[in-house]
Amino acid sequence: MVEKKEKPKESSKKNTEKDVKTKKGSNTLNLREHTDEIVRSGNELSRINDRLKEDAEKQVRRLDETIKGLNELAVIIKETASQAESIASSSEEHTSFINEMAASIEQITANMVSLTASINETSSAITETSSSIKSVADNTQEMATSATQVTTSMNEIANSIKHVSTETDSLVTSINETASTIDEMAKSIKSVAENAGNLASVAEETSSSINEMAASIEEVSATSENLASLVEQISASIEQTVHSVQGVAANAERISESASSSASASTQLDRSIRSIANLAKTADEITSRAAKDAQEGASTIEKSIQALLKIKETMKQSSTVIKDMGKRSSEIGSIVNTINLIAERTNLLSLNASIEAARAGEAGRGFAVVAEEIRNLAERAAKATSDIANIIKTFQEVTQEAVTSTNEGFKIAEEGSALAEDAGKSLKKILLGIEDVAQLVNQISSATNEQLTAGQNLVNEANITATQAKQIANATSEQSKAVYGMVQISGQMRKIAQQVSQAMAEQAKASRDIIKAAQNTSNYSASVSRATKEQANGANQLAMVMENMKKSTNLISKAISEQAVAGEQVSREALRLAKLIENISRAMGEQATAANEIDKAVENMKRQADQITKALSEQSRAMKDTSIAIDNITKQIKLITGGNKKQSELTEKISELIPDIRKFFEKDAEIVRDSEKIVSNIIEKAKTLNIIMERSIKLG
Amino acid sequence: MPDDKNKENYILFKLKGTTYGIKSNDVSQMEMVEHITPVPNAPDFVEGLVFLRGEVIPAINLRARFKFEKIEYDIRTRIIVVQKGERKVGLIVDNAREFVAIPDEAIKDPPETISGLSGQYLKGVATLGDRLVLILNIEEVLNFTDIKASMQENN
Repeated sequence: MVEKKEKPKESSKKNTEKDVKTKKGSNTLNLREHTDEIVRSGNELSRINDRLKEDAEKQVRRLDETIKGLNELAVIIKETASQAESIASSSEEHTSFINEMAASIEQITANMVSLTASINETSSAITETSSSIKSVADNTQEMATSATQVTTSMNEIANSIKHVSTETDSLVTSINETASTIDEMAKSIKSVAENAGNLASVAEETSSSINEMAASIEEVSATSENLASLVEQISASIEQTVHSVQGVAANAERISESASSSASASTQLDRSIRSIANLAKTADEITSRAAKDAQEGASTIEKSIQALLKIKETMKQSSTVIKDMGKRSSEIGSIVNTINLIAERTNLLSLNASIEAARAGEAGRGFAVVAEEIRNLAERAAKATSDIANIIKTFQEVTQEAVTSTNEGFKIAEEGSALAEDAGKSLKKILLGIEDVAQLVNQISSATNEQLTAGQNLVNEANITATQAKQIANATSEQSKAVYGMVQISGQMRKIAQQVSQAMAEQAKASRDIIKAAQNTSNYSASVSRATKEQANGANQLAMVMENMKKSTNLISKAISEQAVAGEQVSREALRLAKLIENISRAMGEQATAANEIDKAVENMKRQADQITKALSEQSRAMKDTSIAIDNITKQIKLITGGNKKQSELTEKISELIPDIRKFFEKDAEIVRDSEKIVSNIIEKAKTLNIIMERSIKLG
Repeated sequence: MPDDKNKENYILFKLKGTTYGIKSNDVSQMEMVEHITPVPNAPDFVEGLVFLRGEVIPAINLRARFKFEKIEYDIRTRIIVVQKGERKVGLIVDNAREFVAIPDEAIKDPPETISGLSGQYLKGVATLGDRLVLILNIEEVLNFTDIKASMQENN
């Protein structure tokens, strides 16, 4: 069983030695071939390291088991030692086997030492790589932080740009270009992540571009300050406008009130004019009626005057007639007197005759009768004449009365005619007055008609004025509202302008930060170095774009709103950039961690190797001690034949475990080979990195 | 004619509304007052002198003689010329237009109560129908002593 176990061990040893020696040269070639692709190598390394790690872990576990088993073995060996005498016959063989084993262990130890050395070399290379990766990761981290700063700054810019005015159309396209360029940049940065070399010059150019951008942002800041002052002026003028509009509104309201009052007043006026018109109409009717009546009265008076004149004449005539009649009656009276006288005389004569007849006696008797008859006749005549006289007297009285009454009538008629003439005159005057009144009334009525139309027009005008004034008032109130809105807007504008100027200041600050960051980036990217050319191209494009951007930012006052969008896009892109950088940094971090892990794993490996070496040396020592002890205990071993079965079992176990160990060690060897490849690769890379860094340092 | 013996013709005249009667035989004539020539220093009732039928006769205003108030003369005023003896006197009365025959028995003496006062100028009172006629005592009317006395009294 023991012999069977030895043979495969020796062959495995030889194979491992040969493999290492032959593959070292090709490994170096392979390493040189893969010098450019550090990341891939890193990945491979990480993968390999992972495997190594796993294998190392497995190895550890196995070795633990081995150690356990060896411990058990040691115990058993102690037991075996106490019972060594029972196996004394086979102890010598054992000793020789153990010696061989010790030798092989020594060989393994030597191999392990060389492995440890190579591991150490690998470890140092890995450490260097790790440190370089770390530095790259740090740079990337810083780049990420600076990108984050850029992002935050860009966010700030975007936010501030968001607040800025509305006309930023031209920036969109340029920012889009910027975005695409930044995309390209992101791509190139991605390639930087993959191939983080060419960033330096690009970063430098980016820095210069950012400087230009910063300058343009300064200009924009100045422009926005001007804008702020303009906005201030505008807001001041708007406030003045507000005052004036308020005044106008108040005036318009007053106008509206006065217009409505004038409208109502004109309506009242219209009403009063209407009533005046009606009154004038009625007055016209009345005056025309009065004129008619007066004319009728005048004609009547004329007629009555005529009648009175006729009466007067008639009265005159009748007066003369009556006077004539009076004359005639007085004539009749004188005649009657004469007749009366005659009658008296006749009476006297008859009496005298009677007296004479009485004297004559009988002879005078007939004569007395005649005298008597004559006296009777005279008496009758006297009586008739006295009657006539009475009649004439009354007649004369009546005629006298008639004369006086006709005189009075005449006088009255005269007075009447005079009065009638006066009445006629006054009627004529009245007529003239009425005509004047009628004319005036006509004039009034025409004037009132005109007034009516004018009043209607006035009413309409006043209504229109009122409505217009109302409209004006409404418009002015709306205006004042609008102006209030404007004031608010201007306040907001002022705020925005202030915010813009603040934002611009922040932008300037941010741009300065960006510059710093860019400088940092350039510094850092200088150390990153390899992607410089691509970045330079990208940066050229960026520069061009930034030129456009500068132009556009000169037009910022017009194009700020689009800048907002573009800024958002920029910030998005920056975010993406940051993300990408983050990814890079993460990848770098992962790389670093992977490297660290590799480092750790290598360290572990080293440690394990050391431990293995130690263990192996201890083993060898133990083996030597064991062999010594076995030499000493050979006699006793024979006694330990009882425990030999167990020992053989355990050794069987060990023999079972050891091929595993060998396998693991084979794997280890392979891993070591790979590690060596990688390490040489890494060394090459480190060399080229050093050269590039030196170059870049020289360039930077 | 027995009637003729028992009755006598009278001229009736009026003085202040009262009818007087005078015997037709005592009256020579009657005249209207035409022109009276006033005589100086004559009594109140003597109006003057009238010239009638060739004779100048004194005219006495009987109203004034009977102490009545005078009135204006008119067409009815009469001068009754009375003749008693040689004396002719014109008596101016208000009017005189009737010639009547009054029976003696119709004439009665004036009542005692008035005879003292104006009885000297009245012979009696005659009733003629329903009219009262005072019959004038012409002698007493023409009593010149009385006239003279009154003229003397006036003087």
